[in-house]
Amino acid sequence: MAIGTILDPTAARDDDNASPGPDAGLLAGKRIGFRLDRMWRAWDWISEQWAESFRAAGAEVSFWRSAGRSGEEGVRCAREYQAFLESIDVAVVGLANCGSCTGWTVRDAITAANFGLPTTAVATQNFELFAHEIAGRGGRSGLRVHVLPYPLNEQRREDVLPVGDAHFLPMLKTMGASLTLREHAA
Amino acid sequence: MSIDLIRPASNRAAPAPRPLISRDCGPEGCEVDWLASRRHDAELDIESFNDFALEKGWGDGLPLVPPTELRVRTFLAANDRYPDEVIATLPGAVECTVEKIVINAVMAGAPAASLELLIAAVTSVADPDFELYGVNTTTAPVYPAFVVNGPVRDRLDIPYGYGCFGGVATKAVAIGRAMRLIMRNVAGQVAGGTSQTTFGNPGRIAGVLTGEWEERSPWAPLGERRGVSGDAVTSFGTMGTVNVIDSTSHSAGDFLEMTGKSMAYPGCNGFSGLVPFGEMMIAINPIWADIIGKEMPNIEDVQECLWRFASLDAGHFQKLHREELEKQDRVRADGRVYLTPEPKDMLVFVAGGLGGLHATGFHTFGTSLSQTKPIASAVPADPA
Repeated sequence: MAIGTILDPTAARDDDNASPGPDAGLLAGKRIGFRLDRMWRAWDWISEQWAESFRAAGAEVSFWRSAGRSGEEGVRCAREYQAFLESIDVAVVGLANCGSCTGWTVRDAITAANFGLPTTAVATQNFELFAHEIAGRGGRSGLRVHVLPYPLNEQRREDVLPVGDAHFLPMLKTMGASLTLREHAA
Repeated sequence: MSIDLIRPASNRAAPAPRPLISRDCGPEGCEVDWLASRRHDAELDIESFNDFALEKGWGDGLPLVPPTELRVRTFLAANDRYPDEVIATLPGAVECTVEKIVINAVMAGAPAASLELLIAAVTSVADPDFELYGVNTTTAPVYPAFVVNGPVRDRLDIPYGYGCFGGVATKAVAIGRAMRLIMRNVAGQVAGGTSQTTFGNPGRIAGVLTGEWEERSPWAPLGERRGVSGDAVTSFGTMGTVNVIDSTSHSAGDFLEMTGKSMAYPGCNGFSGLVPFGEMMIAINPIWADIIGKEMPNIEDVQECLWRFASLDAGHFQKLHREELEKQDRVRADGRVYLTPEPKDMLVFVAGGLGGLHATGFHTFGTSLSQTKPIASAVPADPA
């Protein structure tokens, strides 16, 4: 068998930030921003549910909804998102619940993390590994990803809300967040 | 009511083709080693190399040509580009260099003369409006289809007659496959890895690379209508092909009604509650084009007619889906939902065999917008 030298056809970035970025810390007095999309009503329900709990802990909450990514709308969307990031202290970005929406969720989360914000992406279980893969390709392999059960959006509201409840405390852990000074000190 | 209209970003216009200067190193190599890719030792017989390539995750399952230095340098030497020239930045901030394009083209068996077409094609899908980030990662079966205009069609033997979307044996198949390998190995569209495509698509192997049969079209070439005269490539992110058969119609209006209506089905991209806007591309065969062109010499009239019929009554949609469309203001005053925001978004070109009888539709993916880019011509090297 003839052995020869061949050239590698692949290309990948050679930098990576494996850090999860800063913890969200004590949430009281912080501005928490949820990134939503047009796709997943279950994520609308859960983010609203978590927002209530954040507000109860003394945080301010705002929402930004992603739209089309091409054409003039895409340019507007990118500009709006940048302004949104400038208006918050902590980013919660979702929902990674399909292929392209995982891609855009992770991309938007990386943008927030690279902006210096404590950032957590939210994915459903089926897209967890994919979210990490895309985060690595995006140069942030350490991106925080909180995982919700799958399938989720196919469930009715009354079945989704208990999922949001059950995941609130685990989500705080992923964020590196605490609701009270005592927890924060601990 | 406020319909989301398709307005390409103004700062993303196609660049003018750059004059090229021969700077090749020749098949024997240069004093400076321009090739920067990692080297691997591999057995070069086809069977062993393909096992090796599959293990590395480089291939598509079909036999590959081993990209030896000699083959890569020979390919480069036939062209006028430095291998380290960055053509585009692809998802994940990956730089796509001429060298990477050439290595993948060699593996696919594409001819050296196809380099400028491949470069234009890569440039087109890298345009932010093409939304390659979503095209790569989605659960949808999307892949870029390419329509080529200009004399380059014949120079590269790109089919535009019978079998032009697949099945006719020309080197265009290898060029299309080269683009697919670039999508896989550089742009990062690997099913099960960076792509979540649920079913995939046969078009993800060699793609669709077709010419437009400009000489049989009553209208200006597609590229020219989109601002690029002569050699041009138009990329269109498509979910696949939809066939229309019509052996009954005999007038322009009849053919266009049949074709337009056949494009409008509830589960297509343009009616998804997730998608605020999208395009549609339709290939009309030369026989129909002749009949339609006599009655409708203006392409805008053809687009208008197709657009009007490519719509559904809102009542045709199941309740939850209709509510999603209503939230997007997609139900118009006439009670209908239109496949694309405006007639201009129905892209039309002429291709296919003289047997006629069929049209082909290409539904797009998400809000990915088609791109037309010029194909540069190499300046022959000065023998002096």
